[in-house]
Amino acid sequence: MNLSFPYRETWLHRVNPTHKLAVSALLFLLVLLTHDPNVMLLLAVAALLPLALFSGHPPLRLLLYASPFLLLFVSSASGMMMFGSGETVWFQYGLIRITEESFYRGLHLGFRSLQVAAVGLAFALTTRPVALFYSLMQQLQLPARYAYSFLAAFNMLPLLAEEFVTLRQALQIRGGRRPRGLRGLYERLRMYAIPLLAQCIRRAHRTAAAMGAKRFASGAGARTFYYRYRLSAADAGYALYVLASTLLAWQLGQHWPLLPVKSVV
Amino acid sequence: MAERMSGLNRGAAAPGNEAESGNAEESGKAASQDAERAAAGSLRTEAAGAPARSGAAAVPVAAEAIGLRLKYPGEEAPLLFRDLDVTIRRGEKVLLLGPSGCGKSTLLQVLGGLVPSAIPIPLKAERLVVPERPGYVFQDPEAQFCMPYADEEIAFALENQAVPREQMPERIAACLEQAGLELPDPHTAVSELSQGMKQRLAVASMLAVDPDALLLDEPTALLDPEGTAQVWDALRRIWDGRTVLIVEHKIDLIAGDMDRILLFSPDGRLEADGPPEEIFRDCRAQLRRYGVWYPGFWDDEAAAKAGRFGSTDGGAHAGAAAPLDAADETHVLPHAPVPAGGGTLLAAAAAAPGADASAAAAPAAGTPPLPAPLLELDGFAGMRGREVKVRADRLSVCAGDWIAVTGANGAGKSTLLLAIMRLVRSEGRMRLLGAPEARLRKPRQAAELAAYCFQNPEFQLVTDSVAEELAFSMPERLSPPERDGRVRTLLERFALAGLERRHPYQLSMGQKRRLSVASAMACGQRLLLLDEPTFGLDAAGTVSMMEQLEELRRSGCAILMVTHDDELVRRFATRRWQVEQGVVRELPAPARPAPSSPPDDGASRRPGRGAAPASDHKPDYEPDYGADPAAEASPTGSPEAALARSVLPKGAPTR
Repeated sequence: MNLSFPYRETWLHRVNPTHKLAVSALLFLLVLLTHDPNVMLLLAVAALLPLALFSGHPPLRLLLYASPFLLLFVSSASGMMMFGSGETVWFQYGLIRITEESFYRGLHLGFRSLQVAAVGLAFALTTRPVALFYSLMQQLQLPARYAYSFLAAFNMLPLLAEEFVTLRQALQIRGGRRPRGLRGLYERLRMYAIPLLAQCIRRAHRTAAAMGAKRFASGAGARTFYYRYRLSAADAGYALYVLASTLLAWQLGQHWPLLPVKSVV
Repeated sequence: MAERMSGLNRGAAAPGNEAESGNAEESGKAASQDAERAAAGSLRTEAAGAPARSGAAAVPVAAEAIGLRLKYPGEEAPLLFRDLDVTIRRGEKVLLLGPSGCGKSTLLQVLGGLVPSAIPIPLKAERLVVPERPGYVFQDPEAQFCMPYADEEIAFALENQAVPREQMPERIAACLEQAGLELPDPHTAVSELSQGMKQRLAVASMLAVDPDALLLDEPTALLDPEGTAQVWDALRRIWDGRTVLIVEHKIDLIAGDMDRILLFSPDGRLEADGPPEEIFRDCRAQLRRYGVWYPGFWDDEAAAKAGRFGSTDGGAHAGAAAPLDAADETHVLPHAPVPAGGGTLLAAAAAAPGADASAAAAPAAGTPPLPAPLLELDGFAGMRGREVKVRADRLSVCAGDWIAVTGANGAGKSTLLLAIMRLVRSEGRMRLLGAPEARLRKPRQAAELAAYCFQNPEFQLVTDSVAEELAFSMPERLSPPERDGRVRTLLERFALAGLERRHPYQLSMGQKRRLSVASAMACGQRLLLLDEPTFGLDAAGTVSMMEQLEELRRSGCAILMVTHDDELVRRFATRRWQVEQGVVRELPAPARPAPSSPPDDGASRRPGRGAAPASDHKPDYEPDYGADPAAEASPTGSPEAALARSVLPKGAPTR
């Protein structure tokens, strides 16, 4: 089963994966420490821009990929808005109580989740797992045994999906009496989990043997790399963009606020 | 060649005269084991004492295990090898044969050095020599690769040996070329390759380690005939000058290339060791008893049956030792319980006047009515997503039909079956036992009328015991005693009696298959769809499966079976649907000898199993159809067959 789709390669794909990962992690820390909704809004925009422009995937597919995150934005924002605490009440109906404070806090939370999602999605869409692990081995000296184990596991995912489909078909045919409720859920889980796990364990065993047969030694030992990952112009561009957009967001957000609140804390 | 006989065929040949009965369990068995140990013992000292063995030592040893003992972890696991001695000389092509579970694959991994270094299994050996640079090809095309692209996979092997990066693209191209895998771009996703191409990629990545010994663990077990031929062609091109060890069931294409065959018994003893001609001439009895494929297996099988049922022609088969051990074979291969069962070749002929049919035969005797088709397809199309994958126009299946669905991997055979079962989308008209489209929307509705068995039986087995498994899909209205009764009947019919408490996963592959068929037919369906039912089974398992199916067919069921095995098509199927480029066509010639032909006909003709391409078969059978044109012209077959089909004997499943 094919789980990957063709895409156009952009400069974002050429950014060193380790570098990209580190920057994404730093951005995550930064947004955790941002309490100004104006800055948050601009940071979210700064994260969405490269995703929209340089992911290399067509916009419709991008929207599909992003749909869970958009849902997350709406749900976390609205949840906080309607049920958060605050003093200046704007609207009240039963349990729902929207206050000025909760409204802005909700917006802030929504932008934050959007930013994190956009950064994560951009990373995932522009980084092949192979590239990431090769780069981690080369830049961060990740032991080869972990890197290739992960890659082998990635390789198994499409097979797992295929087996899941077969299993579902088999269970559709078998029918049978299934208990309802919680016990039914457990039964169903068991029916899927056991054959899939059994297959996976066997396959992992076979893959391990095949890797061993190709002289993959779990210990150290010199190895060369088919792909070489270094820092390039794309990395400079990426670092520059993130730095500039973050500084700009902080400056603009603080000096020309779009929302009448300074902090949500 | 003297060195061929180097190893342990002495073990089998040596007379037992040493009474070392410390752990003798059964007297008979123990005696032979002692004999072997004694022989092995003397050999051991010889080998250890004289490293430069006279004469035989001219060719250096490529791989050797002396006094090998090996046991899988776990309390109950038996000792897999007991002081086994094997010596493989450099450049030898050796085939390991034996029943499933005898430890061939494990031995291959021991001799290649994969056990215990990469696969930790406790083992003890007095001497273990492994090749310097072993190269492996394994059975499962999916589980061999850890990288998503072809070039990356080969590069992985190169990286492991610290080949400089600059040389890699060149080496990758060379490996692909040698393996006969022509890719427009080496950077091709492995998932886009066909199964046969994947195995050739496995060969290519094996070549990346520049192996001096090739260890091939059923490299073509999962391939269609075309892929199988391609893989062996590729291997043949590269194996000159290299030591080759092969474990394989489908041996027709390679048996002739081998220098030596090692035959193992079920308990992991080396039973025979010699050149192929010798083994296939002298050890047929063991080969048959252990359920191992060998060239001419089906002929012997048919001959054995003919012999058993009193055919005088039975002994006429030149070189076939089988009739002599027909009685022996009955112990090992579970047979269909019906006494009138004239074996597979006799089946249709026997069914008409057969004892089981007589009970209900009388009313239909005059003019047999044309049986209503169990399945009709009209302008039918099976889809994958929005794309039509397979089309079938004006085809029908009647009771008593055994239809082989053949075609290359990916042609759409499985999709056809899935579409009939409503598991994938379909277009066009389909009637199942007269039930109209409207009553066949959901897979479950189709499943009540037609049973379906997946290629991997494990996916179908959902409960914790064989008995529960059989009861699982039975109609809810049944009372517990009725249910138990039916379970017992199924256990008997499918040779699963005594296993009711066993967890389905603990069964052998053959038992799992039979259980999946039995449980799929729990509602008494009369149409059975099977996706490669003999896949991964040894000869004994295959024969037993086929006999179960023949039994069902004769009791009034129809069988639609996807298979790649031409031999099965020829010997068992009554009709053949060929799927080519997404279109199902009925091939005019029924695959199996017409019911009216003498029982012995098919058996005496074909020398090998599956060695010849399918097209070769037709001329052979034409005389048969000349004799009885009706048999091939109409799907209902000859009058006798039609009669046999129009009545449902007692054994028929009930709805």
